Amino acid sequence: MTNTESKHLKWFGLPAIAQYLRPYRRQTTVMILLGILSSVCDTIYPLFNRYALNHFITLGTLDTLGMFLATYIGILLAQVAANFISSYLIGKVELDVGRDLKNASFNHLQTLSFSYFNTHNVGYIHARVMSDTDRIATTISWRVMDIVWNVSYIVFVFAVMLAVNVYLALWLLLLIPIAAVLVIFFQRHLVVLKRKVREINATISGDFNEGITGAKTIRTLVVGDRIQKDFETDTSHMRRTAVHSTHWSALFTASVTLMASIALSVVLWKGGKMTVQRLMEIGTLSVFMSYALAMMEPVQYVIEAVSALIDVQVNIERFKGLMDSESDVVDTKEVIEQYGDAFHPRKENWEALKGDVEFRDVSFRYPDGEEMVLEHFNLKIPHGTNVAIVGETGAGKSTLVNLVCRFYEPTKGQVLIDGRDVRERSQLWLHSRIGYVLQTPHLFSGSVRENLRYGKPDATDEEIMAALKLVSAEEAVERMGHGLDSDVGEGGDLLSTGEKQLLSFARAILADPAILILDEATSSIDTMTEKKIQDAIGVMIKGRTSFMIAHRLSTVVDADLIIAVVDGRIVEMGKHEELMARRSYYYRLFTRQYEEAATAGELT
Amino acid sequence: MRNKRRDLIVYFLKGSVRFFALSIGFAMLASFFDLLSPRVVGWAVDSFLAGDDRAVRSALTVAAVAGAGAIFRYLYRLFNSMGAEKLVERMRNRLFEHIERLKFSWYSENQTGDIIQRCTSDVETVKSFLSDQLTSVFRIVIMILIAMGFMISINWKLAIVAAVFIPAIFLYSLFFHGRIGSTFQEADEEEGTLSTITQENLTGVRVVRAFGRERYERRRFEHQNDIYTAAYLKLSILISAFWSMGDFFAGAQVMAVVAVGAYLAVKGQITAGDYIAFISYNSMLSWPVRSLGRVISDMSKAGVSVDRIGYIMNSKEEEDPDRAIRPAMDRDIAFSHVSFRYGPDMPKILDDVSFTIPAGKTVGILGGTGSGKSTLMYLLDRLYDIGEGSGSITIGGVDIRDIPRDYLRDHIGMVLQEPFLFSRSLSENIGIAADDAGQPAIERAAGIASLSETVRHFRHGYDTMVGERGMTLSGGQKQRTAIAQMVIRDTPIMIFDDSLSAVDAETDARIRVELNRCMGNATIVLISHRITTLMAADEIVVLNHGRVTETGTHEELLKKQGLYARICGIQGIAAETKKGGDSK
Repeated sequence: MTNTESKHLKWFGLPAIAQYLRPYRRQTTVMILLGILSSVCDTIYPLFNRYALNHFITLGTLDTLGMFLATYIGILLAQVAANFISSYLIGKVELDVGRDLKNASFNHLQTLSFSYFNTHNVGYIHARVMSDTDRIATTISWRVMDIVWNVSYIVFVFAVMLAVNVYLALWLLLLIPIAAVLVIFFQRHLVVLKRKVREINATISGDFNEGITGAKTIRTLVVGDRIQKDFETDTSHMRRTAVHSTHWSALFTASVTLMASIALSVVLWKGGKMTVQRLMEIGTLSVFMSYALAMMEPVQYVIEAVSALIDVQVNIERFKGLMDSESDVVDTKEVIEQYGDAFHPRKENWEALKGDVEFRDVSFRYPDGEEMVLEHFNLKIPHGTNVAIVGETGAGKSTLVNLVCRFYEPTKGQVLIDGRDVRERSQLWLHSRIGYVLQTPHLFSGSVRENLRYGKPDATDEEIMAALKLVSAEEAVERMGHGLDSDVGEGGDLLSTGEKQLLSFARAILADPAILILDEATSSIDTMTEKKIQDAIGVMIKGRTSFMIAHRLSTVVDADLIIAVVDGRIVEMGKHEELMARRSYYYRLFTRQYEEAATAGELT
Repeated sequence: MRNKRRDLIVYFLKGSVRFFALSIGFAMLASFFDLLSPRVVGWAVDSFLAGDDRAVRSALTVAAVAGAGAIFRYLYRLFNSMGAEKLVERMRNRLFEHIERLKFSWYSENQTGDIIQRCTSDVETVKSFLSDQLTSVFRIVIMILIAMGFMISINWKLAIVAAVFIPAIFLYSLFFHGRIGSTFQEADEEEGTLSTITQENLTGVRVVRAFGRERYERRRFEHQNDIYTAAYLKLSILISAFWSMGDFFAGAQVMAVVAVGAYLAVKGQITAGDYIAFISYNSMLSWPVRSLGRVISDMSKAGVSVDRIGYIMNSKEEEDPDRAIRPAMDRDIAFSHVSFRYGPDMPKILDDVSFTIPAGKTVGILGGTGSGKSTLMYLLDRLYDIGEGSGSITIGGVDIRDIPRDYLRDHIGMVLQEPFLFSRSLSENIGIAADDAGQPAIERAAGIASLSETVRHFRHGYDTMVGERGMTLSGGQKQRTAIAQMVIRDTPIMIFDDSLSAVDAETDARIRVELNRCMGNATIVLISHRITTLMAADEIVVLNHGRVTETGTHEELLKKQGLYARICGIQGIAAETKKGGDSK
């Protein structure tokens, strides 16, 4: 899969991310030059042996030993310095490129429209931002350097060999293509096997997950033995595949070392003859032996690096896929000029927002949907109106809200805010004037203060406390120990659902929005908190245009307008009394919910 | 603690020890042959210098020695892998088996993610400790010893020059890996924070957009990204420094050996061949010594993993009594003065509950959230046991605590409110608890559960994959699958724990009619807060706050004008008529 997907990318897909590499071209040049220098040093070391053998040992003199040692130390220090600086630079380029890729993808995500988030799950997007970027950065830095190091090493080794003894050098050169073919053969096998091992591993993790989350069912059905048997089939499959994979990788390393030994044998055979005939000095023979042993592994590293570069194309493609995704909702050039974009607002040009909302002949279809969910829909909502939207779970109650917030744009027709088409002003302008409370309250890790300031960045502690008081959440914050500095935990995990809900209300109040969107919670909370939340909602919606995706009866009853939705379509609209009198869908929905709520009330 | 760890390792190693023993034997042979080669080369060089033409013979000997080395190295790795994989297989199988037998309360006390982590990455850590790190240390030490042997046999003075560097390089590497470990942990934490910011931004995308805080999010992310990058850069510099310094030490050692070796050769104490052989030995040792430091500093992590696995293996399993009785199960079920709480500090869920479910009859239980109605059924199925002196449940007069769990559960069918489906096909899910169920039996069960019509609309019909890795079914579809799953088992006792809550009233009624027709002799318990589900039962028990407040038939309870009658009123059910409350 990996290979077929990426065949069409040129130059391993590197041009596709060239813009992220360009700022580092100077460091990259230095790092490549130093890498080559390091390889030169590696090539030189055996030559010291040659000198020692040919000069000291054969001639039996130590006359130049001081010079010899000084040069040796000089080369050694030069290499150590080159290695340190180049590996520092590789690390730096790797991390800097990784950071830039992360920033680019994260920032692009901030501008993408909701249809992107609805068609891609969080885990998938998260992996694009966090792991693909890392893999790309690591591969293009370290693997490219692997190629530099090893290719230059092989080139220098052969340059020296050819300079010293052409005949023997050509013999060894003959072995390189054989080694390369061998390595490629094994590499192909191993890639497939390793992928298989990963897949079975994922299956086994899934098995554990099923065994634990399904424990109650497994026991009540008494199928423990059967599940165990199936699990053991998976683990035994895993064992056989893993051993099979090791078999190939062990053969692989064995044949690479064997190739090196064969090279050594060739040197001993051909070179030995020449040495005996005094056609070759003993030091030269030793140089050839060192090179013969050391030249096979670089071939392996080069091929492994190339294969890693091939693999990383998948990651590059996914990254590009994210960067190339376009938002369905884009502000026009003129709008951006006047109002600024998401990152550079021009607040001086922003008008106030009153809260009149109008749907004018709106038809709408979700970008990934087939059917129109709204057709020629007209509705005027004067500011200050409380709208409740009711319907079964999954009936598509959010559609109107999505349009008002301009998370989506109408397929036909217009949504008007204060009498002007939403598209005439920037998204940020609108969003800064809208308060949004989610069904599952979403808090960010950090302090209470940080979370509430999400609603108003420059809110003072007094304002924050006042907002908390309005929703009766000040006690809960007190209890946390450090007041506004208290940590709410990852995703607000240190708080109960009810407390999270109250904090998210306070956050919305701080924003002092003209339009308020409320997606009520369905989960049951204890009666005390329930009461507090009810009261808080009452406080919040007073005097604002509000859209409430409603699950609670009391809030629905008091609404100025109730919209009932079935299968994404609006079936009824009106005040509570009118709809009850009609004895149709709303009546049935309300009666059933009332029954359930009343039954629950009686029983607990 | 240490003995416990050792016992656990010994227990898991059963069956893989012989592979490891063989692999270590092969490792020693491989090392020996690998190290023989320089000696052969040395001898060959001396013979060349003496003018003795043994080139072809030396070449063949070197090739043969290297071939032997390669074969043994291959065998060492193969057997090592066989041992390692056998070990992992056994660890996973035993862990899985143990987890399936643990007391049910254990699952609520432990987090799924954490348990899976223990069963996967901790198992990998222990495996690599035993198969990789431990054998590496052994192999490297053997290699150093053999190499030193060869080196001393060539010239002991030169051997000392080479040897003094070994402990220095080793200690240096050990020290550095300790440092790297703590820096890595810091960097890892920063990565965790960055990952959380991304995660929260993505899950909270609506909040970010609705409050127009893209700019803030961008700053927050870029700021943490800088911190994260700096932390890894620190690590990267440390590693670069370590490698460069290591290179320097190793280079200095080689240089010392080259210089002293040349001096000794000039003085005539060693031959040129000895010199070449010695240089080879010396360079062959430099890598293993450096990696020894890394291996040893990594080994300390394994102890923690063993303990984490030990935590699971030492948790208590469900136990059955010795005096096991296997009574007939189509008898009256009697709850007598049952009280229960989930833990010593937890509130009382059931308080002195007594009632009887007559054999072959249908009993309905009406109760709200938290009334303890599900707990009653968990106690009946012995997912939890009633404490001593807190009452008893009997079937045909036999206390269920005297009945083996598997026997008991084999005879009780239970449909849970939120059923769990396995990652298998729909028909496998339905037939999972009935080994010999053929397709006709599966389809019949699906028919009784009103599932046939739904399945017809699936493109792959009964072969549709469901569960975590398959198609997502709606709550009602899941409940009906679970009902089919139970129907096929044909148990004498059947429990429906609020298991029709997600299907509409019509389907609910149709399923109940079908069940009555096909399962005439079974004892049935229906738990619900929907009166229409319960009203036809032979007897209805009203459970409120863990106590039985009313019992009787629908008509009797209506006459009592109590809680039941009030709820009937709320749900719009009068004494004489029954009206479908909803249609959608």
